Amino acid sequence: MRGKFLKVAVAATATAMLATACSSGGDDNEPAGESGGTLRVYNAEPAFLTPSGGDDEPSLYVIRQLYRGLVKYNAETSAVEMDLAESVESTDQKLWTIKLKSGYTFDNGEPVNADAFLRSWNYAAYGPNAQNNGYFMKRIAGKADVAPADPDGEGPKKAPEPTAETMSGLKKVDDLTFTVELDAPFSGFPTTIGYPGFFPMAQACVDDIAKCNETPIGNGPYKIDGSWQHNVAINLVRSDTWKGEPGKPDRIEYRIFADIDAGYAAFQAGELDVLYTLPPARYKEAQAQYGDRMYEQPGDSFTYVGMPLYQDAFKDKRIRQALSLSIDRQSIIDAVFDGRFTPATGYVAPTFEGAREGVCKYCTKDVEKAKQLLAEAGGWPAGEKLILWANAGAGHDLWLQAVGDQIKEALGIDYELKVNLQFAEYLETADQKKFTGGFRLGWGPDYPFMETFLYPLYGTGAGSNNSGYTNPEFDALMKEGDSADSIQAAIPSYQKAEDILGEDLPVIPMWFNKVGAVYSENVDQFVWNAVSDADYGAISLKQN
Amino acid sequence: MGRYVIRRLLQFIPTVLGTMFLLHYMTSLAIQFSGNPVRALFGDRTPDPALLAAITERLGYGDPCLDQRGNPCFGLFLDRLQNIFFHFDFGINLRQREVTDLVADAIPFTLKLLVIAIVFEAVVGIAAGVLAGLRGGSFTDYLVKISTVFVISVPIFVLGLVVREFVGVKFGNVLRGQDWIPDVISSGMFSPGFKPDYPFASLIIPGMVLGAVSLATTARLTRTSIMENIRADYVRTAKAKGLTNKRVIGVHTLRNSLIPVITFLGVDIGAAMAGAVVTETIFNVPGIGRLVTMSARTGESSVVVGVVTMLVLVVLLANLLVDLLYAVLDPRIRYE
Repeated sequence: MRGKFLKVAVAATATAMLATACSSGGDDNEPAGESGGTLRVYNAEPAFLTPSGGDDEPSLYVIRQLYRGLVKYNAETSAVEMDLAESVESTDQKLWTIKLKSGYTFDNGEPVNADAFLRSWNYAAYGPNAQNNGYFMKRIAGKADVAPADPDGEGPKKAPEPTAETMSGLKKVDDLTFTVELDAPFSGFPTTIGYPGFFPMAQACVDDIAKCNETPIGNGPYKIDGSWQHNVAINLVRSDTWKGEPGKPDRIEYRIFADIDAGYAAFQAGELDVLYTLPPARYKEAQAQYGDRMYEQPGDSFTYVGMPLYQDAFKDKRIRQALSLSIDRQSIIDAVFDGRFTPATGYVAPTFEGAREGVCKYCTKDVEKAKQLLAEAGGWPAGEKLILWANAGAGHDLWLQAVGDQIKEALGIDYELKVNLQFAEYLETADQKKFTGGFRLGWGPDYPFMETFLYPLYGTGAGSNNSGYTNPEFDALMKEGDSADSIQAAIPSYQKAEDILGEDLPVIPMWFNKVGAVYSENVDQFVWNAVSDADYGAISLKQN
Repeated sequence: MGRYVIRRLLQFIPTVLGTMFLLHYMTSLAIQFSGNPVRALFGDRTPDPALLAAITERLGYGDPCLDQRGNPCFGLFLDRLQNIFFHFDFGINLRQREVTDLVADAIPFTLKLLVIAIVFEAVVGIAAGVLAGLRGGSFTDYLVKISTVFVISVPIFVLGLVVREFVGVKFGNVLRGQDWIPDVISSGMFSPGFKPDYPFASLIIPGMVLGAVSLATTARLTRTSIMENIRADYVRTAKAKGLTNKRVIGVHTLRNSLIPVITFLGVDIGAAMAGAVVTETIFNVPGIGRLVTMSARTGESSVVVGVVTMLVLVVLLANLLVDLLYAVLDPRIRYE
């Protein structure tokens, strides 16, 4: 375990060194990993290969090699590093000035200038374009004019006509400079723009988006070889137009699989070099079989049991604390998941800057305290069952049943599972706040900044605040962090806000995932980026 | 004969329309009862209503009848029929790709797989059946009997998974370790799934798995039929006439014995398509079967309706062809 971490750390430093090597002319003793060869990787069928459309994991894996954005993330620390941007600055955290490096072009020769970014962001945000990543433009001023909300807020179907075609918050200053005005100050803005939804698009791409989806016009270190062979493969080769640090492999081949089990079989047969995830049932087997060629790291995907604060039974925080205290998370992880998770003791993923252990003081099993808190709160309504909700067909009933059993054993509250809703209806139930008991949901960060784990889930009226939690003190602390002078300066405020959650328990934190990937003997140095996951362009192959 | 074909073709119309309506109704019910599939695309991130509305509209899930439980959505059905039959437009999937494109991409793989499966089960099945039928009670007969019972009793997904694990991965890895075996065998044919580098070789084993289940039935049908016919009067006559054994068996007996087998193979194309749903998913073949599996999982009604309608047409045509083949095989059958 230790050795593995060290190896990856070395690989990461090596890449970081290489990035600075040009100017410093640093020594070449570090094992930099030679370039060349073909890297064959597992992928599922992407949804879209355009920055404005692709928001699912398989799409992002391809887009990140085809395109590059303003900033990138440090592989180890997930700190923001400038990529195409020269600088991203603001004095009030509300009006951001972005200066670009010159000389970058798209594969078709178009320059990567201010227009390329404005074009892409406006395209994504414009309602009638129906682009999935329009979601990420929500902070930019004028978003509401290009994608207006439903006037009645009820009829979900017919969208009103937008009153503007471009967002008023985006202004071009000169060819390589533009400004972004946000609706409200947000100190973490630089961390958000490394997400592929903020990558630039060429004019030719926006003009014929369908064609650009099949044969992307990228600006990154790789370009597509031929076009997207749907459900079969996507092949990338080095792009000659890329001026930055070149990728390690000469060629990246994404093989597309319908399910991870077939992918694992192909990996076992030596047809793949990297499998970025593992079939749950094969996790232990892979650990034993691949040993040091298996990469494990704490991940950032959060699972919780939400508390419907809009139901009377859950209004008293002592009830929520008592429920949380009755759960032994580690025993469930071991019994149901073969240890593939880390118990959560806070609301922010352990890999994030500013995350602390033990924020939630009610997240370790303590039956005595639970009973006491429940008694203080006046006990559970007599004769009522605790209802636990999860979506159907995803195997959540197994662990939720364990949770129910533990609560029943500790507090004597009888429970009932409600696991018959399909995912779509389940989410609609969540949106409409119609849960009658604890509900399973998850969360993955959108950008490497503590705020992504806090405001969207617990801010008053925030999009994914499914518990209906409202706390002015929490909101104020979030605002304070949002308008802090820098990313680092924001952290103390957010930590205070997290402490409030640790006391109030609007949701019961369950666990964070662990990342498990395997790579083949052909791989020399395996690089896992703390934010963007397996970094195919940085993985080097053994040359012989 | 011509009139018969026309009559059969006319019968297709209500069958196809009926199937389409059932599919339409079922997929509509699925949306009415299990929610807007577009919402599931966003998962834990609650999209703002404008974006959700825009995408819902674009993907064709915007009809208000999809909110009313039990509503058969006749209007939507008529629109769908119009688009399909007048504009050849089957709609788009959740990723905004044309269903016709999806099918066009997938069909070559499924056809190859089906051809391999049918050829495998016909050649091996009939050969085994003839050998067993001619020497009833012999070692070959028992061998065929026992092996077919074995294959019949294993469900196709079990067979598929076992073959992938042991033939594709374990045995394949042994072969791949030997330098003298050509790549097309070791990493092509014995790959644990479809491989774009070897688009034909890597389909052979999946095709054989798909054919294996019906192989047993083919062999058994041939065996029984041969045993029956070999005692028939006309065979005795043929023998008495002094014809060579080869001709008696090869022409006279076999031709008559094949009628039930051909029927079975024809009907089996439909069953094989169903089996392809399983085998293609296990062996990662990017064909129609995998397409149906994936779109059923995500509730893409336009894909399910479109693809299954096309499958129904294939089965109907295959059945018609089988019926016409009877006349060729058996001169007593005439279509007037």
